[in-house]
Amino acid sequence: MDQGVLGHLMSLERAGVAQQDQHQSERIQMLKVRAVSLRAKRDQLKHQANVIKTLKDKISKNLPFEYDEEDDDDETGGFAALQRSLLTAWKMQLKDLQHAHHLIGGFDLVECKEGKSVCVSFHTAYEGVYLDTYNMELDLMRTVQISRHNIPPSFPLEVLAKQSLQKDLKVFLQTVSQNLNALAARRQQVTLVKDLVGSVEVMESNELCNILVLMCSAQSEPPRAVLCTLEYKDLTQSLPTHVSIESEDKTLSGSAQWKTNQALLLESPAHTALLTMKRMGSIV
Amino acid sequence: MDEQARSVLNRVIRRIPNKNIKNLLSKWNCLSADQLQALDYTKPKRMIVEHIIDCCESSNLNLKHITNLEMIYHLDNPDQGTWYACQLTDAQDDAVCVELTQFKEQFKAHLHGVIRHISIKMKKHEDDAIWIRIAWGDNFSKPNHLKPTYVVHHLHTSYVFISNLMAKHKIFLCQALVVATRHGSIKDGHLSTRSLTAMRDLLLRRYQQVFPSAQSKIQQERDSPPLHPCIGKEHSDYEEMRHQMACEAFGHGPTPKLETAVYKLETRYRGNGNLTVSDREEFFRGVVRFSSSSLLESLRNCVASGMAEGPVTPLLSAITRRGRNSFVITDKGPGVSSQASAPRA
Repeated sequence: MDQGVLGHLMSLERAGVAQQDQHQSERIQMLKVRAVSLRAKRDQLKHQANVIKTLKDKISKNLPFEYDEEDDDDETGGFAALQRSLLTAWKMQLKDLQHAHHLIGGFDLVECKEGKSVCVSFHTAYEGVYLDTYNMELDLMRTVQISRHNIPPSFPLEVLAKQSLQKDLKVFLQTVSQNLNALAARRQQVTLVKDLVGSVEVMESNELCNILVLMCSAQSEPPRAVLCTLEYKDLTQSLPTHVSIESEDKTLSGSAQWKTNQALLLESPAHTALLTMKRMGSIV
Repeated sequence: MDEQARSVLNRVIRRIPNKNIKNLLSKWNCLSADQLQALDYTKPKRMIVEHIIDCCESSNLNLKHITNLEMIYHLDNPDQGTWYACQLTDAQDDAVCVELTQFKEQFKAHLHGVIRHISIKMKKHEDDAIWIRIAWGDNFSKPNHLKPTYVVHHLHTSYVFISNLMAKHKIFLCQALVVATRHGSIKDGHLSTRSLTAMRDLLLRRYQQVFPSAQSKIQQERDSPPLHPCIGKEHSDYEEMRHQMACEAFGHGPTPKLETAVYKLETRYRGNGNLTVSDREEFFRGVVRFSSSSLLESLRNCVASGMAEGPVTPLLSAITRRGRNSFVITDKGPGVSSQASAPRA
């Protein structure tokens, strides 16, 4: 009787496992087939990606492509497939270039010494006229360091480098360019004052152009000398931060006309302001 | 006029060729036109000096005027004596805002504070250079005007050029400069020349540097006459490349007229000679000295003509890149030693 019940239980158990086995083996077969097909697809995609990579490498190294007529079979897809791969490769390369361009803030970097250093140029311009161009060579070996440059030594380059060279190259390049342009603008203003407004004498100026002292002759009876001091505390600006007017005649320097002149010197470039003052008759 | 004033005047006039004396005296503007007219420049120097001394005494000129004359002479002839460069480091935040009057006041105040008897004269030259003449005395004796120190500084740059400074006064001068320019410290620039102009041109970058750019290939100097059309240069590419390499290292056009470069070797001998082991432990001390009437130009020519193989060794290009002409080479590896100053900004 035990044998009977136990035996029945065992046979039921076996039957149950066999069913599961069947399901499992079916499932296993299915999965095996799926794996094989996926592997085949992966290999195919790998092959395509390799083709595109080699094309991209050839593009970046300016090597010629080879297209063999005998290779034109169904596997590689023929000429049309090559064209498609070529297009994809071009697109990838251009995207890389665009990314690099963004990284360096849109500046033109020239590679020198086989990738060990790069050279960047800063162009300056003011009022539509191109002024000096400055160059800087950056060493890329371990950390980014300034190797040499032809920026005037009074320019606070070390300060700017300490602030942002290691952290963000783009910010550093943009700050240097901004400061250089402002310096060129201030320097050009001094030159224009000397050239265009002959009656005004430049008493003091310096290489960094952060202070400018002008001696004007006011058109009054008797003609008085007026000293205008323009301070440029913000080196990224080409307009002064502070203007002071001094004269022996206190009433003259305090008059409404000279108050407007002071505002004019604060708001517009030095040479334009002086020419306006001349036109309005405040100065000789 | 006292004895010292006479000696200073004597020294200044003695150095100048007779034909330049008139120019100097008119720039000085202390003698009247009649007095200048009366001077006869064909006479021997001694007599000219005596005549000038007489004129000065009759015009009641004193030591102050004479030192002014000496300063004007040095301003016009800066390439006298030996000049040394020093570099200011650790600029503080307001170093850029230092202006001329502030610098002058602080410099004078500091020196007057530490030395009782000292005579300081400052002049700003047209090219934004501040010239300082210091006659040193001490707590007991009057300033010695026969051995003045000259200092030249361009505001907002980190370079100071010094001539004729005695070791015992060095610390006072350095302190004063550091305080007045709002920097943290000052160090030796490892550059010394006889010509201040060359030193300034090199450090303040007043020569044409060449950088590699997308449109490089600078124009070759057309010194040589145009070649015959039937003659072709086989190696013109290499020539251009060498020329470019030479100009990148040493500049294009007229270079600063440096005269010497000195390399002190503190390396160990590595050859296969018959030396004992102990000999090899000792430093093989040597000094390599390059001399020329215009060192950078000759080095450039060496590289451009192919006599020196490219690429230009960093030991030589460091002269322009780091702005120094005195180097110590140690065993730490090829190139300039770590004792060299950090790449100058």
